[in-house]
Formats: sequence, structure tokens, C-alpha cells
Amino acid sequence: MKIGLPSGLLNEYYKSFWKHYFEYLGIEVVFSQETNKTILDEGVRRNVAEICAPIKIYTGHVVELMRQGVDYVYVPRFVSIEEREAFCPKFMALPNMIETMVPELKGKIVTHNIVAKSDDIATEENFLEVGRKFCKNDEQIREAISFARNKWIEFRGLCVEEKYNCDQANTAVIKNRLSKLKNYPVKIGVIGYVYNVYDSLISMNIIKKLNELGVGAVTFEMLDESQIKKQAHHLERQLFWSFSNKITASAYHFFEDKEISGVIHVTAFGCGPDSFLGKILELDTNKYDKPFMTIRVDEHTGENHLQTRIEAFVDMILQKQMECCV
Amino acid sequence: MKITYPHMGNQIFYKKLVEAFGHEAIEPPTPTQRTIDLGVKYSPEFACFPYKILMGTYIEGLENGADTIVTSGGSGPCRAGLYYEIHKKTLENLGYNPEIIVFDDFGRSPQTFIDNFKKIKGKTSWCKAFRIIHQTYILAQSADNIQKRMEILRAYEVEKGSFNKAFNEIMEDFDKNGTSISRIKECEKRGMEKLNNIKVEMPAKKDRIKVGIVGEIYVVMENSVNMNIAEVLNLLGCEVSRSLYISDWIDHSVTPKIFKKKSGQYLLDNCKQYLDIQIGGHECHNMGNIIDYKQQGYDGIVHLMPFACLPELVTQTLIPRISADYDIPILSLSLDEQTGIANNQTRIEAFVDLLKKNKGE
Repeated sequence: MKIGLPSGLLNEYYKSFWKHYFEYLGIEVVFSQETNKTILDEGVRRNVAEICAPIKIYTGHVVELMRQGVDYVYVPRFVSIEEREAFCPKFMALPNMIETMVPELKGKIVTHNIVAKSDDIATEENFLEVGRKFCKNDEQIREAISFARNKWIEFRGLCVEEKYNCDQANTAVIKNRLSKLKNYPVKIGVIGYVYNVYDSLISMNIIKKLNELGVGAVTFEMLDESQIKKQAHHLERQLFWSFSNKITASAYHFFEDKEISGVIHVTAFGCGPDSFLGKILELDTNKYDKPFMTIRVDEHTGENHLQTRIEAFVDMILQKQMECCV
Repeated sequence: MKITYPHMGNQIFYKKLVEAFGHEAIEPPTPTQRTIDLGVKYSPEFACFPYKILMGTYIEGLENGADTIVTSGGSGPCRAGLYYEIHKKTLENLGYNPEIIVFDDFGRSPQTFIDNFKKIKGKTSWCKAFRIIHQTYILAQSADNIQKRMEILRAYEVEKGSFNKAFNEIMEDFDKNGTSISRIKECEKRGMEKLNNIKVEMPAKKDRIKVGIVGEIYVVMENSVNMNIAEVLNLLGCEVSRSLYISDWIDHSVTPKIFKKKSGQYLLDNCKQYLDIQIGGHECHNMGNIIDYKQQGYDGIVHLMPFACLPELVTQTLIPRISADYDIPILSLSLDEQTGIANNQTRIEAFVDLLKKNKGE
């Protein structure tokens, strides 16, 4: 039996957990391939025009998995991972939307609600019921949850302690291949959701581009929960969306961190939460003496344009540092 | 205090409420192109349209001398609940320093709700305060009843403009004479008679075309930003009903849960088959209402949403399925500062033509 995991939205953050969980239950796990033009076009064709690019891409990945002939596609419904917080409405309605946009998939969608107290979602409430679909033995499902949870904790540990980015940490946990980290003298904070920053089509490998210019990228996954909670006081009221809060907090952390020379916000066209957090950061960045740039991308973005802006941003930072030293 | 507030739907209720507590109401001007321009200038590009309109409305209210803004919050995950936080930061950045009083759901923080209420209440006794609120609620309901009736009859008016004129007169009557519950009821009765006496050419029952308007609350209620859609449809000869009026909004957003009537529950049950979770806006009510309108014999639905509205995008995605399952035509329009009236007018006319053709068969 094969289950497909679409390589979109929060997959990058949780795939180490999902993969090991389903495999422990004896199911073969298939990931859709990296986002490409075909996947994107399929998503654009099936969605309403003005919806955000990440949802379009996710839909494309679901269709791609269906074409690969998987038996099931896993489309979880993220409801909340923090008390009094929620997810963007599109996450909360995701299975219903996929059902409508990909009607061929009827009966093949595996979904369940994810409600947790923190981003550690590996609880029995969340994953026992969905496991029963594939496994009659509750004990084995419990083992699967705890086995997969350890893998995810390993993934988080690599991010927080070793400063691996999501991509590198996933490779380490899933493929058992450790990356050699280069130490860059200049670091830039790249803030954005995992499905924007690590999607090669949306962000056009922004981290790699920065590295090629001799600059290191620091991302929000590298902060631990306490560092994030410490920044909560900047907002009178926390945002409603947990990952948006993490990103806002990491932005303030980067603003205050002397090691970090600038901050780039990567966001997708039509992202509702980002429209607000972007404005908050834009207004507050004046208080800190730190360059801040927003890169908004969608299915029409040209790569040269992005390259130029990143180069200009990096040049400016390097020049500033040279002036400081003289 | 000199209080200003958002411009949403029929204004009479807000003004009366503010004045009843002894404050000066700085009535927000009806949103104009200038309001939109101001709002767009100081808002994030991808903020939703109501956010931008409110931004402009607040600035205009403050220019007119207001020192306090009263608005509503929310528990998300729709962006509307965060408006004030970013409005506040932006207004401060512009050099205004208004006090912003935000009313969230009672359940989120009862203490804050009560504290905020005390600020508005001032020296008024609790007993009187509740009487005032009850009375303004009745006023909102009565005014809504008049509006509902008008939006049906106006489709058949003989002399163009006669209903709008009468409606304004009735609202003035409410403003002047609606000083107690019994007087408000009298005003409503007088108003109804006035509407019923206007000359209309009513076709046979089976030939009447009925259109329901659903969508995001602000654009459904605020005529100046929805291209006056109810009137446009009326002029094309359609009866109109909106899924949301201010009194409904008070029913399910402001009234504490313990007092809440279960009236909307059947709408949520209707919607279950398409979306089994509430996601923070009126999406479940809207989908429930679409089905409900169909069951009441309506001929078509116009779905309004601000550009990139999070919950309504979900509705828009699910609409093709509902439309096919229940065999009802639905026109989805998204509105923002770029909206071209002529473009939407054409689409609405084409839609109404289709409804008329359906009816003919």
C-alpha cells in the first residue's frame, strides 16, 4: 500500500515525523517531486485565480501524486498548535478544498485534525485514529507515534543546536546524510514559511543564492521555543497564526542580534497573514538600525529580477561593513 | 469623548448608541474615493479591502476632530480581529494618537470587555446602560426590517428614486422620533405604510426574480464599497435579500454566547457536508445561506468578497460544487480598490439575463 505526501505547505517541517510514522505502520511513503512548472500549472488551473501561490502548488503536488498511482494521499487539517491560536483559514479548510478541486481523489484522501499545545504534534489524540485505518493494533500505532516523534525531535535538535536549515536537517534525519556547514562571516536572517523559503520554485533557492554571494542564511527554525516566546512582548496582541508568530518573533530576534546584518522577508503573493506581519515589521524596523527587504513572489516571478535584488541587498550590507571597518 | 467608528451598513444605530451614552458622535463620512485613496496609501498592499476602507474612515474621522475610535475585534483566524493593532501602529506613525476601544467576543476576555464597556458607559448606571443597548438593538432591527422590505419592493418601482427618497425620510423619522422602544415601533409601522403606499408594478408571483446576496460581512452591508449592489439588482428588476444585516451581526457576534439564539444553527448544519469546521469568518453561514436561499425558492446568488479574503476564498473554492449539487446559479465577485464598476455591471447584467432566461423555461 502506498501513501503519498504532497511536498507542499508544512511538509518540510513535519516530513521527518510523517514519513517514519507511516513507514512504521508498514505503508510505503511516496513524496511528490520538487515543485516544477507542470505541478504549478496544474495547481493554477484547478484553483480560483486569486488564492495564494502555496495553495496552488500544494494542489499541483496532490494531482502529481495521484498520477503516480498512490493508494492514498495524506492531507492533514492543521487546526491549532498553540492555545488560542489557529492556522490560516485555508489550512483549516484544506481537505475540503482539495476534495473540491481534485474530485478524482474521492475516497483516497487520508485526513484528520491536528490540534496540539505546541509544534510537537505527535500525540495520541492526533495520530491514533488515523493509524487505525492502516493498522489494527493500537499498541503498534503508539509505538509508531513515539518512534516518529523521536525522529522529529532529532530534526528539531539539528536545527536548533547545529543550526542546520530545514532542508539539511531533513536530509540528515531521513537520508542519514550529514551536511558540512560552512561558516560565513556575514549572516542574513531569511524569514518566511517553510513552504516559501524551501520551495525551489517560489523562493528560487534563495538560501543557495545567498551562499553563492558569500553570505550565510539564518532561518526561524534555528531558534528554540524559549527564544521565540521571549519576543512575544513586541505585539500587544499575538497574531492568530502560530507560524506567523514564530516568524515575527524570529524577525525581532534577528533585528536584535548583532551577528545578523540584515533581514529578508520571503512571502508569496496573496498571503493574508504576511500582509499584516510584513506591515508590523516594516513599521518597527525603523527602531533598529537594520536593513529589511521584502521579496514577494508568485507564479509569474522572473528569476533575474530576484537575483538582482538579492545582489543589491548583499552589496549594500557588505559596503556598509567595509565603511565601518575603515 | 468624541467617538468615531467604522462605516458599516445603516449608520443610524451607531450614532444613537454613542449619543445615548452622552458622547459626541463624529459620524464617519460615507466612504468616497478619497477614503479609499487614503486607506490604500497607508495600508499594506495585500491587506483586505475592509481594512483599507477602515483605515481611510478612521483618518477622516480623526481629521473631523474625533479622539476615540470604537471598533470590534475577533478571535481569528480571519484577519479582521487584528485590524486595530495594525491600524493603531499606522495611525501612531502618522502622528495621530487616538484611544482605540476594541470589543472582542465576550468569552475571549470578559474582564477586558467589561472594562471597555465601562469606558463607554461613563457615569451611566448599569441598569440604564442595558436599557440603552436593548433600545438601540430594537432600533437596528426595525431599521433593518424597513431596509429588507425596501429591497424587495424597489425592484418594481414605477417612479425612479421614489423608494430611496422614502427610505431617507423614514431614517430621519427614526433619528428624530425614535426615542423609546414604543416610539421606534411606531416609526417602523409608519415607515412600512409609507413603503407600501408607493406605486409599484408587481408581476405575477411566478415571474418574480429573487436574488440572495451572501459574502463577507463588510462588503455585503456597506453599499458604498459594493457598488450599491442591492440597488443595481433592484434596477434590473430583481428582488434582493442579504444574508447579513446589522441586527444579525449583533445576534451572533456581539451578544454573549449565553444569550445567543440558536437561530443560525440550521445554516451551519446545511454547510456541514461541504465544510465541517468553522474557520473564522462567515463562510459556514454563507454556504448554509446559499442552500437556504435555494430551498426558499430564490433564483440566483451573488457572492461578494474582498480581494484575497481568507475565509471567503474557501467559500469561493467550494462554490462550484454547491452550485452543481443544488442547481443554483452563483456569481462570485471580488472587490477592491481596483474594481471597475462597468466591468461588474456587465457581469451582473449578464447574470440577471441568465436568471430571466432560466425563469422563462
